[in-house]
Amino acid sequence: MMIDKEQLTNLEKLSQELRRGILVLAALSQLKESRYGYALIELLSQQGLDIDQGTLYPLLRRLEEQGLLESEWKLEEARPRRYYQLSENGRKLLRELTQEWQKISDVMDQILKG
Amino acid sequence: MDLIERYIYAIGKHLPSNKKADIQSELRSILSDNVETRFGANPSEEQVVTLLKEFGAPESVAASYWPEGQYLIGPRLYPLFRFSAGVALTVFAIVQLVLLGVAVMFNQEALPGIDFIGNLFSSLMVAFGIIVLVFAVLQHFDVRPSLDEKEWNPRDLTAVEPSTEIKRGEIIAGLVFELIFTAILIALPSQLNAVLYPGSEGFVLNPPLQAYIPWIIISLLLGIGLDVILLWRGRWETGTRFAKIAVDVIGLGLLILMITSHTQWLADHGVNDFLSAFSGLEAGAPSPETVQILVVNGFRIGLIVAAIVTIIELGKQVFDLVRQVWQPVSIKISK
Repeated sequence: MMIDKEQLTNLEKLSQELRRGILVLAALSQLKESRYGYALIELLSQQGLDIDQGTLYPLLRRLEEQGLLESEWKLEEARPRRYYQLSENGRKLLRELTQEWQKISDVMDQILKG
Repeated sequence: MDLIERYIYAIGKHLPSNKKADIQSELRSILSDNVETRFGANPSEEQVVTLLKEFGAPESVAASYWPEGQYLIGPRLYPLFRFSAGVALTVFAIVQLVLLGVAVMFNQEALPGIDFIGNLFSSLMVAFGIIVLVFAVLQHFDVRPSLDEKEWNPRDLTAVEPSTEIKRGEIIAGLVFELIFTAILIALPSQLNAVLYPGSEGFVLNPPLQAYIPWIIISLLLGIGLDVILLWRGRWETGTRFAKIAVDVIGLGLLILMITSHTQWLADHGVNDFLSAFSGLEAGAPSPETVQILVVNGFRIGLIVAAIVTIIELGKQVFDLVRQVWQPVSIKISK
């Protein structure tokens, strides 16, 4: 089957949109422990979720501004690194968002089977 | 590593100033982690170039730290900006025209030339520039006006008004009249009087009207331009309503000036009230001067009627505009 260039771009755009939707949940889920940006990217990548670095880092800052993450600079390693971790609000939101995701995922499974 | 520093410096130029240093430090740390993990302690320039290309152009990386994008006046402020600019510029233009009218009527100043329109235009541009500047400062400090969504009730929505549709027949009829009148005024300004009152070479039927002919033409051309735009758009919009108000204000100012000068001319010829204009008709064929007085008086009555009609129309336009523009705006400023 031939997929022409335009379709490929559409596919890329739409999958990017899909992934953008789950990015917050994916990031929050890995930040129960404190991690720095690049480590988070690697962790997600190892589990099969490749995320554009240019999208993740600004997102972490926004989540921090929204009070879902807390961050601190750690200076004791090879270089200064900014570590992010869930705040109390972030933990609560992660639980709710996870339930929400389960529902969406179940519904979508049903819809796509139908 | 020099490339990375240059890259971070380039990104820094486009970052929000209050977060710049912190974001730059984080990017430096992230890029170093990337380089070290992928290429080891001594990466080649080629490898760093590859990495930076993956990261993206400095402007787009910086842009991702502006969640709402970078604007001189952003989408949150724009509706308030459009509203404020519209109101301020209309009020400004009306005030200028009223001041001009007062100066001409009470201080006996001459009717200004075409350069007045140029000056009005440039002062409007300056006013517009100042409004843009104020909003750019608000944007810079991220002041957020928010429409009060909690109190929004679908039941309060205004009915869809058929009156925003233009009445095509009316506009076309007006346009035809304006075109014919303009053509007459452009083609026959000096001959008109002789044509209407043959046999008297150089006789001017309506002296006080003469000085205003170029201004009447300008006012008509403005009206024609607006009618053409209305026919093209097919409906009344905020912009065309403002334009219509401006055209009506100009027309009204001109009418008032002409009424004043007709009255002055009649007073100079001994006519101080309506009936005395007819006193010359009592015996035999009317003299040219009697005809002149009757014509000027007739014109004055016509001009007064036109001024009253214009005032009513202006009131209606302002009312419609207020209904269209003012109503949906309920704004709170929050930071």
